[in-house]
Amino acid sequence: MITAERKPITEIRELLEPYRKVLVVGCGSCVAECAAGGEKEVGLLSSALRMDAKAHGKKMEIKEMTLDRQCVYEFIDQLTDVIGQYDVVLSLACGAGVQAVAEVFPKVHIFPALNTTFLGETKEAGLWVENCRGCGDCKLGVFAAVCPVTRCAKGLFNGPCGGSRTDRCEVDPEVPCAWQLIISRLEDMGRLDLLRKVQPPADWSKQQGKGPRKIRREDQRT
Amino acid sequence: MDQKSAGLNIAIFFCQQLDPDQDINRRVIEKELGERIRFFPLPCSGRIDPLHLMHALESGADKVYVVTCPEGACRYREGNIRAGKRISYTQTLIEEIGLERDRLELIITSSGNSVTIDELARELLASKASVGPSPVRVKDRV
Repeated sequence: MITAERKPITEIRELLEPYRKVLVVGCGSCVAECAAGGEKEVGLLSSALRMDAKAHGKKMEIKEMTLDRQCVYEFIDQLTDVIGQYDVVLSLACGAGVQAVAEVFPKVHIFPALNTTFLGETKEAGLWVENCRGCGDCKLGVFAAVCPVTRCAKGLFNGPCGGSRTDRCEVDPEVPCAWQLIISRLEDMGRLDLLRKVQPPADWSKQQGKGPRKIRREDQRT
Repeated sequence: MDQKSAGLNIAIFFCQQLDPDQDINRRVIEKELGERIRFFPLPCSGRIDPLHLMHALESGADKVYVVTCPEGACRYREGNIRAGKRISYTQTLIEEIGLERDRLELIITSSGNSVTIDELARELLASKASVGPSPVRVKDRV
């Protein structure tokens, strides 16, 4: 899932300063899971903005909506009948969702209420941890499903740095040593042989350096 | 000045387990103070959500209390602990819009000292007002 965190209200207030009628739109997918942009968070932010406006003697009309997914046009279409009634859209989606809405409604002023952060997992209630950098060249099969690109602070592909203390990374002791995990798991699986092959440096051209990436599947297109 | 004299609008979210007869016990004080006081019984204080607190403030409450069972005595084990965390989260949120943290207050009742909800409410009303009328109150509810 994509994780995000709400921007400070001072920053959101500044973005909304020229506007009076605001459509606050949440997303029921990733950002709802990380308690940043779902229906509840739309309610919280809208309530805060209304109270902030009242306290500053400013008139502000706010409508709250939440789409199941803000990055899919079929859901974004649900905004069609209402969006024209508002001066601005404050989106609680990740960056993908904000931009998707802007693609469908290019003349609408739309601002993000969140800072999109990383791809991660819900480790436990209230704790989300990055575990994928979207490198485009997944080697999790070699590394017992522990990503050294993301979870090793040094991004090592061919064994540990030797600096870990009690299974913790020497760069950040709050982080488990990824290589300790890789080796422990491969040992349990009886597949330490996977580490015999030397892994070449990552091909970063699969992730960056060529502008926005795209996936095209003709079998999925109409 | 105590909260009653200050004419503050008070909202009290409370765990029903604290006073099984809460429905009857709060009627006298509700009649006495009218819209100045609102009670919100909860099956457990852990049911409280930051959104409830925000809406209470937005609706004109100057001060919002959340009353929980004593530590270790929550019928659902962790409800009162969750309530505390959610209040703390909401306090941080309202500070961002310039409201005082004190507008939201957690009251953890003490064990072995049962008190009815109206007795508790009177105690709270008699306490010194730590905040004044809320700047977000559009018009007085009374």
